[in-house]
Amino acid sequence: MHARNKELIVKELQSIVGEKNATGAKHICYAYSYDLSFVKPKLPDFVVMPSTVEQVQGILTFANKERIPVVPYTAGTNIGGLTIPERGGIIVDLKRMNKIIEIDPEALVAVIEPGVSHAQLAAALAPHGLRFGWPVGPPSASVSSCAISHGIGGMNARYGLQSQEITSMEVVLPTGEVVRAGSCAINPEAWHSVLPMPQLDGLFKGWLGTTGIVTKLGINVHHSPPLLKIFTVCCDNVDDMYSYMLNLSNYEICDDLTGVSWWLAQVPIPYPYKPKPEKDPEWFSYATTYSFTQKEKESKEEIWSLVLDQEKQKGTSIKETHYPEEALKARTQLPSQIVGSTKNYCKQGGAGISWPGTFTPAKKWAPVYKKWKEILISHNLSPSVRMSMYRGVHYGMLRAMIPFNKQSEKETENARQAIVECLRVDLDMGGIPYKPPVDFAVEINKRAHQGYLMLLKKVKAMLDPNDIMNPGKLGF
Amino acid sequence: MDWKISDLKELEDKIWRCTACGTCKVAYEYGPPTRSADICPAGAEFGFEGFMASKGKIAFARGLLSGELNWDEDLLDAIYKCTVCAGCQSQCQLDHKPFIPEIIEAMRRKAVEDGVGPMPSQKKITQSLRSYNNPYQGPRRVRTDWTRPFKKAKRPIKDINAEPAEVLYYVGCTGAFNLPARSVPVATASIFQKLGVDFGILGENEICCGSTAMRIGDASEFKRVAEENLHTFQRLHKEGGVKTIVTSCAGCYRAIKKDYSLASGYTEALDGIKVIHTVEFLYNLLKEGKLPLEGSIPWKVTYHDPCHTGRHLNKFIIDEEGSQLWKGAYIGLNEEECLYDIPRELLKAIPGIELKEMGRIRANSYCCGGGGGVMTGYGEWAASNASKRISEGMETGADYMVSICPFCHYNLNEGAKRIESPMKLLDLVELIDRVLPSLD
Ligand SMILES: Cc1cc2nc3c(=O)[nH]c(=O)nc-3n(C[C@H](O)[C@H](O)[C@H](O)COP(=O)(O)OP(=O)(O)OC[C@H]3O[C@@H](n4cnc5c(N)ncnc54)[C@H](O)[C@@H]3O)c2cc1C
Ligand code: SF4
Ligand code: SF4
Repeated sequence: MHARNKELIVKELQSIVGEKNATGAKHICYAYSYDLSFVKPKLPDFVVMPSTVEQVQGILTFANKERIPVVPYTAGTNIGGLTIPERGGIIVDLKRMNKIIEIDPEALVAVIEPGVSHAQLAAALAPHGLRFGWPVGPPSASVSSCAISHGIGGMNARYGLQSQEITSMEVVLPTGEVVRAGSCAINPEAWHSVLPMPQLDGLFKGWLGTTGIVTKLGINVHHSPPLLKIFTVCCDNVDDMYSYMLNLSNYEICDDLTGVSWWLAQVPIPYPYKPKPEKDPEWFSYATTYSFTQKEKESKEEIWSLVLDQEKQKGTSIKETHYPEEALKARTQLPSQIVGSTKNYCKQGGAGISWPGTFTPAKKWAPVYKKWKEILISHNLSPSVRMSMYRGVHYGMLRAMIPFNKQSEKETENARQAIVECLRVDLDMGGIPYKPPVDFAVEINKRAHQGYLMLLKKVKAMLDPNDIMNPGKLGF
Repeated sequence: MDWKISDLKELEDKIWRCTACGTCKVAYEYGPPTRSADICPAGAEFGFEGFMASKGKIAFARGLLSGELNWDEDLLDAIYKCTVCAGCQSQCQLDHKPFIPEIIEAMRRKAVEDGVGPMPSQKKITQSLRSYNNPYQGPRRVRTDWTRPFKKAKRPIKDINAEPAEVLYYVGCTGAFNLPARSVPVATASIFQKLGVDFGILGENEICCGSTAMRIGDASEFKRVAEENLHTFQRLHKEGGVKTIVTSCAGCYRAIKKDYSLASGYTEALDGIKVIHTVEFLYNLLKEGKLPLEGSIPWKVTYHDPCHTGRHLNKFIIDEEGSQLWKGAYIGLNEEECLYDIPRELLKAIPGIELKEMGRIRANSYCCGGGGGVMTGYGEWAASNASKRISEGMETGADYMVSICPFCHYNLNEGAKRIESPMKLLDLVELIDRVLPSLD
């Protein structure tokens, strides 16, 4: 970009957000040019930090007029390069919009701005005895970004995805208008539900920041029952783990029902690949349950014992186990600094982490895992795989957390190739990647129904006629 | 003396351990109760990711190493807009954790070596060090001004070069030259006299510990004063029988304990000498029943942990040989030397005092904003940050904030004035002096 032009743009942005909150300085832009993932670094040209909806409107109206790309940003921890600008432009860093507007402990709704972090919301909900389905991610990452990206949290077996917890939203369109979806669209005080209206919130969920900037979000929050019981089992193979998880999920007693391979249960994930000791089980599972009364807890224990007996009778290798302590803490005491700081993932690998992260039908978990294991080991990477069952249905998250040494371009590329290869396997078996980096989006689009792609492009063009919002991230 | 002070290039492998996860941005504790608050004064003030905690600083370091970033005024300014408080370090869990403040200071050393650093406003610190052996442009003779009341009361303080003493009270430049902070050495010396401690000071011959020079990247000036100090300490031990060096300055304490240990002759130079902070010295007496605290101070107080007597004294356990995890792996933390409990125990021992804790304490203490050359380089920001800490103190319902660092003392009082807060910062020794029976 021409220096003179750049200066004028900075001046214009500063006139919207104040002198201290807009810059084109290279060192500031540099800190937004990379993330944890294998995605190649790219520099934005500007960074702005709005603190009001009006300022967001001002930025988008200006950017739209000048056709400058805009990338919404909260903490950049999405593990998919989703805030790395494909075509330069303006990073809109929303961390200053971090108000918790309301917590309604009776209605069980919280209204938050996009900069509110998991740590911040957890601390604010705690005095009310309330909680949310915290992801096993950085406490400093944004609640709303996770939710609008169809994130996954510690209550997904009970309530579904973070995006299913969304009750209402306010959004600034790429053309600068403020719009609302859900009950807050009809009554500005009502943030309780996106139903029974047309689900216009869908225009902004799973779009990777390509259709607008969410400025307020209503989410459901939940009571935090006092009695926690975590059921932990292990077994020798993925088929047995699948059988157990399927069985237990039918009873719908868990907040989180997750299986992890031996490699993911290690703190940290071994890098490079290290064979599992022969005598160790290949799969572990933790199933978290919360109860209000002792009796409720006991009946959950009864159900779990029943499932365990049934699995034993079937001849599976499932048995009760002691889950590695730090790993269990990391996944059940959420939000967690252990996982947040990537200690359990990257401590040995070094700086890089990416995933084939997917929603996959549960019956495909075992065959996909077996293929993934082959691919990852052939790339000298640990098959550190997680499977989590979603709300009372038999599909869920299947992902491999792959750390790598980002200091080495060769090792980064090795990880990228392995991960994309894994993704193709999963897509071909009916899985769908979440928070997909561009490499994944291209693979999705290759397989997509033409009508889907047409609709996607039409909606995108309607909302963002000049294609300024996070351009390129949808793979077209 | 040889020094093991790393340059940025030597830290490159550590720098590449950072995942940019951003966990360092927030002081978060699962609890219960769950707590979350800002930890980075620079991030809270300037906002952009580059300013934010170690995540941001490491971005700058990477850019400088790869050549993608080159010095200009703005980048220089950004690397000095950090109090090197290590609040970010407390949050990180990866292998570069032990080196985070070092990475920040190595960038500054590079700036100085490349002829661009420190900031123009900070250059007077090192110029002053060269001319006056203190960062405050204070003539030598002013160093002992605080001792006048003692002379007047006919209780002069020993000049340790003239009269031997077992304890060297190393006053530090802030206590000696910064008028509002002079109450710290005054109270310390008064306590020692009341307790009959055989102590002396270096007086006009004391020179700076070098902490500020080190924090702003001037390693050569740091080494000059540090070496001179180490020689003095050794001489005083051998010739004058000094067995203990007491300091009531968090910055001096950190420098002598930690920065000086990077010198090849450190162990020999301090052989037979114990370096101790005043509060630990007093605490040991308390345990032995030799600190008679009388009367009562019926105040509610809150305690501010200075960075330099707290998390800066962490000892990091690293797998140097690769026998437990892998070579260079960070294994854990030893907080034994961090002065977290001792000042609190002393406070609780003072009759009438009610301690009201703030949310951010101990390893998650929120920096006053004065460290890392910020008080000189960015006075307004230092004071406005201090105002935030004072406000946090006010929320506890306390009347006073207590600490153990003359730097925090000055800056937090500035912060209180700025927001017209009735809260005042007092040094713990000022309180103890009040309840120690007087000599008369
Ligand atoms: C170690 C680790 C573990 C993780 N575990 C999980 C997990 O268990 N579950 C999970 O779901 N995620 C997980 N994540 C991913 C990530 O932490 C979450 O998705 C997180 O909440 C994203 O928040 P962020 O602030 O980093 O978003 P960003 O990365 O800044 O943004 C994410 C996306 O949202 C867009 N965006 C941001 N703000 C807005 C806005 N206001 N309007 C419109 N678009 C916007 C961005 O452009 C981008 O496309 C993990 C990450 C790490 C590093
Ligand atoms: S310094 Fe540590 S906590 Fe901060 S971003 Fe880097 S790895 Fe994460
Ligand atoms: S040392 Fe302190 S001021 Fe500097 S980046 Fe870390 S938390 Fe921020």
